[in-house]
Amino acid sequence: MGEMAENDEFYLRYYVGHKGKFGHEFLEFEFRPDGKLRYANNSNYKNDTMIRKEVFLTPSVLKECRRIVADSEIMKEDDNNWPEPDRVGRQELEIVMGNEHISFTTSKIGSLMDVQTSNDPEGLRIFYYLVQDLKCFVFSLISLHFKIKPI
Amino acid sequence: MANPEEAVDFEPEEDDLMDEDVDASSPRAPMPKLKSAITGGGGGSSASKKIKGRGFREETAEAERNARLSARFDSLDSEGGPGPERSIEGWIILVTGVNEEAHEDDLHNTFGEFGEIKNLHLNLDRRSGFVKGYALIEYENFEEAERAISEMDGNELLTQTIHVDWAFSKGPFRRRNVRRRSPRSHRSRSPRRRF
Repeated sequence: MGEMAENDEFYLRYYVGHKGKFGHEFLEFEFRPDGKLRYANNSNYKNDTMIRKEVFLTPSVLKECRRIVADSEIMKEDDNNWPEPDRVGRQELEIVMGNEHISFTTSKIGSLMDVQTSNDPEGLRIFYYLVQDLKCFVFSLISLHFKIKPI
Repeated sequence: MANPEEAVDFEPEEDDLMDEDVDASSPRAPMPKLKSAITGGGGGSSASKKIKGRGFREETAEAERNARLSARFDSLDSEGGPGPERSIEGWIILVTGVNEEAHEDDLHNTFGEFGEIKNLHLNLDRRSGFVKGYALIEYENFEEAERAISEMDGNELLTQTIHVDWAFSKGPFRRRNVRRRSPRSHRSRSPRRRF
């Protein structure tokens, strides 16, 4: 199914953050249709450091990102029954793929226990693992290109 | 409108994209701008998309996000344009189609032939614990990376066909390049393509 959709438009953005005594701390990244990857990490703990990096990816990298998303089947899910963002934190996952556009929000997920006890453990588990796989991909790209430790 | 003499030019390609069904109302189909991609039902190419999620119902979040993303982002000095982009300490290639049971040694053995591997990321699927399917490899020199790509792309590694390409690019890529490779899209009914 991924093959056919290869030349459709693709956009992906993930955000996780909260506002607390260290201000607004967050991590966000974005894959744009023209290949641009943007990465922002704002942590005010101890020393305030705002990292904002961007780099253009080849179509091959975007295609792999898209494969990861397609394989996860996240587009079939719905955030209706996921825990709502709260004081502890907020996550956003926005994806445009083919003619579908999702923009999911939920609270931070501490562990699989949070997933298990939610009202939609199956959907939330897909989200939980996809986010980890995407982060892992992005951290590798950013750290190899810029030689920074992303977190 | 289609000028036969400039069939290879950008213009007809973009016209072509505009033919995309449903979207007659959309003023800009060719390159989805960030804005149209994230404003949901707000027009542009998203108008025809199936949307889903609570994120579409929160305007303050949207305003905050636009503010965050309009900030300046650093990049390495780049000339722009096409071609691979050098990373800070070398050249990075992406290997896809990697067997889920591959080990780092397998990649070292195969890709070490083209030069010393400075860095290798073979990330795992967080759910299964198996290899996710891609590897990122860093070489110090352009020539090493280039040889790895030209000799290994389309080859077999552990019974699977792998694809090898540069990871980073000097500038944005044009979608028409992507489209060229698979001519069978629903847009192919456009007669202009054949010029």
